[in-house]
Amino acid sequence: MSEAVDEMIADVADGGEVQGHLGLIAAMTREFTATRDADVMAKTGLERITKYVGAEAASLFLIDDNGKELVCSACSGPVDITGLRIPADAGIVGRVYNGRSGQMVRDVTKDADFGAMVDEQTGFTTKSILCAPLSLGDDCLGCIEIINKNTGDGLFETDDLTLLETLAGAATLAIHNFRLTQQVVTQERERHELELAAQIQRQLLPPDGGAEFRVHGINMAARSVSGDFYDILPLADGRIWFNVGDVSGKGMNAALLMAKTSSLFRCLAKATENPGRLFDAINSELCETGTHGLFVTMAGGLFDPTTGKILMANAGHEPPLLLDGFGEQFTFFEAEAPPLGIMPGIAGPDGYPTHEIDLNGGTFYIFTDGLTEATTFGGGMLGIDGARALIREHAEESPDRQLNSITGAVRLPGQSLRDDLTMLVIKDMGVHEEPGSTVPVPDSKDSVSGQILRLRVPAKADRLKVIRAGTEQAASFCDADESWTTDLVMAVDEACQNVIRHAYSGWDEPGDIVVDFIRDTDRLIVHLMDFAEPVDQAKIKSRDLDEVRPGGLGVHLIKSVTDEAIFVDPPEGVGNLFKLTKRL
Amino acid sequence: MSLEITEKDGATIVALAGDVDLQTSPAVRQGLLECLETHDKVVVDMSQVNYIDSSGVASLVEAFQVSRKKGSFFALAHVSAAAMRVLNLARLDKVFSIHESTEDALAANG
Repeated sequence: MSEAVDEMIADVADGGEVQGHLGLIAAMTREFTATRDADVMAKTGLERITKYVGAEAASLFLIDDNGKELVCSACSGPVDITGLRIPADAGIVGRVYNGRSGQMVRDVTKDADFGAMVDEQTGFTTKSILCAPLSLGDDCLGCIEIINKNTGDGLFETDDLTLLETLAGAATLAIHNFRLTQQVVTQERERHELELAAQIQRQLLPPDGGAEFRVHGINMAARSVSGDFYDILPLADGRIWFNVGDVSGKGMNAALLMAKTSSLFRCLAKATENPGRLFDAINSELCETGTHGLFVTMAGGLFDPTTGKILMANAGHEPPLLLDGFGEQFTFFEAEAPPLGIMPGIAGPDGYPTHEIDLNGGTFYIFTDGLTEATTFGGGMLGIDGARALIREHAEESPDRQLNSITGAVRLPGQSLRDDLTMLVIKDMGVHEEPGSTVPVPDSKDSVSGQILRLRVPAKADRLKVIRAGTEQAASFCDADESWTTDLVMAVDEACQNVIRHAYSGWDEPGDIVVDFIRDTDRLIVHLMDFAEPVDQAKIKSRDLDEVRPGGLGVHLIKSVTDEAIFVDPPEGVGNLFKLTKRL
Repeated sequence: MSLEITEKDGATIVALAGDVDLQTSPAVRQGLLECLETHDKVVVDMSQVNYIDSSGVASLVEAFQVSRKKGSFFALAHVSAAAMRVLNLARLDKVFSIHESTEDALAANG
């Protein structure tokens, strides 16, 4: 560009004034585009103009952000008025600014708009003024003003105004470019910072456990940083902590609270096995340091792959779904306590309610509202029914593939997500070694020997009727007569009563009782197993019948009607194994 | 299980029906003890009891003990073979006043 200007100057070498004008314009345009410092640029520019026109002083006025005042942002000459503010509708500068056209005032004393206030303050005497607007389309950024021509006859010429207006045009573009550049630089810096934050955030997400792992998660941010999170934390014993959370609000504040909550989860999970208490501890910590009006919904817990059971708590989060092992029925688990970070102790003295969920070969899904509120291909929101249909459609796939399929279905090409989307899948393989399944069956070779029936029911009084009916059926299978059957039913019933009343005493929700009926040639063996603490066998003894009192008859009855009734060493995972033997 | 109370010849007949087990025996116990609070002649008709376990027997024993303390009359009638087996095993057949029928029971009381 500067070479082209040089050539042009050379072409009109004899043009005198034209060459001078073009030279100045070329030099200043070069400077305007080369410099990064707006103040230096403006000051140098003004000095050149002052000198070239042969004037005493010059100043650059820019309109302030609210458009009410013109502010002197640079000047040259004997008096420094940088920072001086004048109302946008006052003086000759104001007239030029509002009229968007240059003015030449050869004698300010004859101009009614001239304000002498500045001269009074500075001691400077203004005689004549040349002023040009910095017009940019319909907009005006301010004005350039030149004061007191001190060469020739001391009067500004029309030519001077034309030159000033030309230079003002170049200056306007330079100022505009400079401002745009500043904006881009600021945006770029912010974008870079956000990208760094997003990077840190992604590092907070757990590593993928591989295709064989039962728990998988995915997090897709609508912006570069996310208010959503999930975590998967395997313990040394094979159990796995997991969570999905959603911070209210978006952007940096939400991202920081997310980082804090997920760190607290990771740290505090190592000190407890109870999700309800863990949630309570996280809630206390969040409330202690304040969340500035933000809060966190979270569902999470502890999954045991060997039993297929989950211990879970839910703090105000979208209800997780369990799809049964046949891919047919959904069960959902509503939150029973409010979100984290609102008030300490909000869930009550016992902490957040904890529930045991038996996946029983099914798949468990936790997600954020980014899924249910996602836009579908047909427009409209996916909704909970749409989410269920989508989950069911991909239920056969492995957990990591399911996540890709489901999130892929709501991520429209070329569109950003409406909201952060996070999802976690826990797949239960459904093949759990049932505690007690290794109880040895007599290896007699005759055709009648072998297991007849296994019952597994909750150890509750109302299930005794079922156990009695099962016992009758097992006896009938062995062609036992009525009185033999009556005795066996009584023995099994009494033994189960002991499990209900003693082994599981003090349990809010008792565990199961397993009753195995096994034929061993000419005997029927009944194994009764519970999953409670081993009982003190010394306390379970037959009472002295001479003493008439209620209770304590059970063991006596059992021993009276069976050939053998003893506790044997329970297999792994079983609390007590009581073995009854009765000859057929 | 059901528990039905009727008056007959100045005595209270408590007719039990169904299974008296760990689940139902608390109701049997309460029914019998309430009856004994206001009546001094109580006969338990057990003809419809299919099954009774040690907790059911315990309820009967407790009622028996209360009646003795108060000097009231307490008897069992129509005891089924299955129930009798349990009473025999617990050696309670000699403790309770057991009769073929409610009439017999009332006759025994004179």
